[in-house]
Amino acid sequence: MAVLSVRNLKVRYSGKGPEILKGIDFDVEGDDFLAIIGPSGAGKSTLIRCVNRLVEPTDGTITLLDQDVRALKPRALRELRRDVGMIFQEFNLINRMSVMDNVLSGRLGYTGNLRSLFRHFTKDDIRQALDFLERVGLSDHVDKRADELSGGQRQRVGIARALMQQPKLLLLDEPTSALDPKISQEVMALIREIAKELRVPALCNIHDVQLAKEFCNRIIGLQDGIKKFDGETRTLRDADLEDIYAMEVL
Amino acid sequence: MSATDSLAGSLNLQTGLRRKRQLRLALIWGLFILFTAWCVNGTIIEDTDWSRIGGRSGVLASFGRYIQLDLGLVSELILPTIETFMMACVGTVLGCFFSLPVAWLGAANVTPSRHILYPVGRFLMVLSRSVHEIVWALIFVSAVGLGALPGILAIAMRSVGFISKITAEAIENIDAKPVEAIRAVGGNQFQVMYYGILPQIYPVVLATVIFEWDINIRRSAVMGLVGAGGLGLLFFRQMNSFNYGGVTMVILAILLLIVLGEVISHYLRKAVI
Repeated sequence: MAVLSVRNLKVRYSGKGPEILKGIDFDVEGDDFLAIIGPSGAGKSTLIRCVNRLVEPTDGTITLLDQDVRALKPRALRELRRDVGMIFQEFNLINRMSVMDNVLSGRLGYTGNLRSLFRHFTKDDIRQALDFLERVGLSDHVDKRADELSGGQRQRVGIARALMQQPKLLLLDEPTSALDPKISQEVMALIREIAKELRVPALCNIHDVQLAKEFCNRIIGLQDGIKKFDGETRTLRDADLEDIYAMEVL
Repeated sequence: MSATDSLAGSLNLQTGLRRKRQLRLALIWGLFILFTAWCVNGTIIEDTDWSRIGGRSGVLASFGRYIQLDLGLVSELILPTIETFMMACVGTVLGCFFSLPVAWLGAANVTPSRHILYPVGRFLMVLSRSVHEIVWALIFVSAVGLGALPGILAIAMRSVGFISKITAEAIENIDAKPVEAIRAVGGNQFQVMYYGILPQIYPVVLATVIFEWDINIRRSAVMGLVGAGGLGLLFFRQMNSFNYGGVTMVILAILLLIVLGEVISHYLRKAVI
């Protein structure tokens, strides 16, 4: 049984705007580290945001953890989002808060309003956060403000925040494009390692084909809202790549 | 065509252009002076009771009366000064509370309804600022009677416009990325505001509130003129009993208070930013 299955997904941002996704089908299985590659503007970010409905699809079905995502009412949607860890291109941290508070914010879905008002997270949450911060190598930066860290460190905070959710699926939206090549390697390695350890499948937007080939077991190629390739990484030929990137003007 | 010809041509063009600009400038100045003269004639020359001024010595003597300080008033000044200060503080705090919902309605990106409530929020901002604090005070004096309470309410109402407008603009200018992150972890509307929006706007909002508080000290000093408590009331009484030295004392107290407010807000602002 697939963790996530997407059928005939279509997205249009406004009534008469262009169709961003034109009927996408794919599945994510329990141990997948699935890359979505494609030129910029192909619809990668939109696709990944449909999974937890940060973007509302216009047509199609999304089944995530046996739930029909498009049918969910606001409260049920929030509950589903708790199970989906998301890591962002520009980290999306709260700059004026400490590293610790940023990581703890991963538990907000489980925290009531009054507790959130006083940032009163449970002892277990705090212990958990310290563990994850150690896991991503930020034990020395716990009380620093998020905007004092370097890019690579900020993304590690983002990873720890996603892990706090004890996610059943990871969504990675270009996790490395704001980082330099060496740090990108490290961050991807860390994410894959943790995903394996926790047995969480991941869906990863990535425009760097080399990184996708190196770290992902399956690849989906997207071009202008249409799926051009879907298969195991080793089956991806140069001809497929040329096909996917055919429309990109360099 | 030689080089000198083209030089002469552009010289002509330049002098012509400059002449035009000079003429326009002269015209603007001329109109400005005429307009000012018209205003002075209407307000000062025709509207002043020249016979009552009674010469240079009379004017100086009138000013002189203010210099003979009434030091006996010091003991009576203390409580109203403190009251004025308290009115400014409570009025500002209350104004902040009123500002929250107004800013929420009037910020385009978070308003619950773009077509109905957003204009309402914007209208409230304008209403608060377009009615003078003395007019607000008059309204509240007639509603809740004399004393500090109508003064506090007036200051609160007058503060809403500026605080909520700046807050709404700060909300409109936030970075959407942290907001997206809080939504993605399953945060509710309150959590999105408290974690995603508030940390981004609070320095601006706090600086604005401190600034408004500083202004509110001035405002609360005149509230008493219409019976809404504080030093203004004392000022009014000294004026009515022709105790000009007492008037100066009240003005000095107000000055002291404002300088104090200035100093405090300077340090507060430093602490915030």
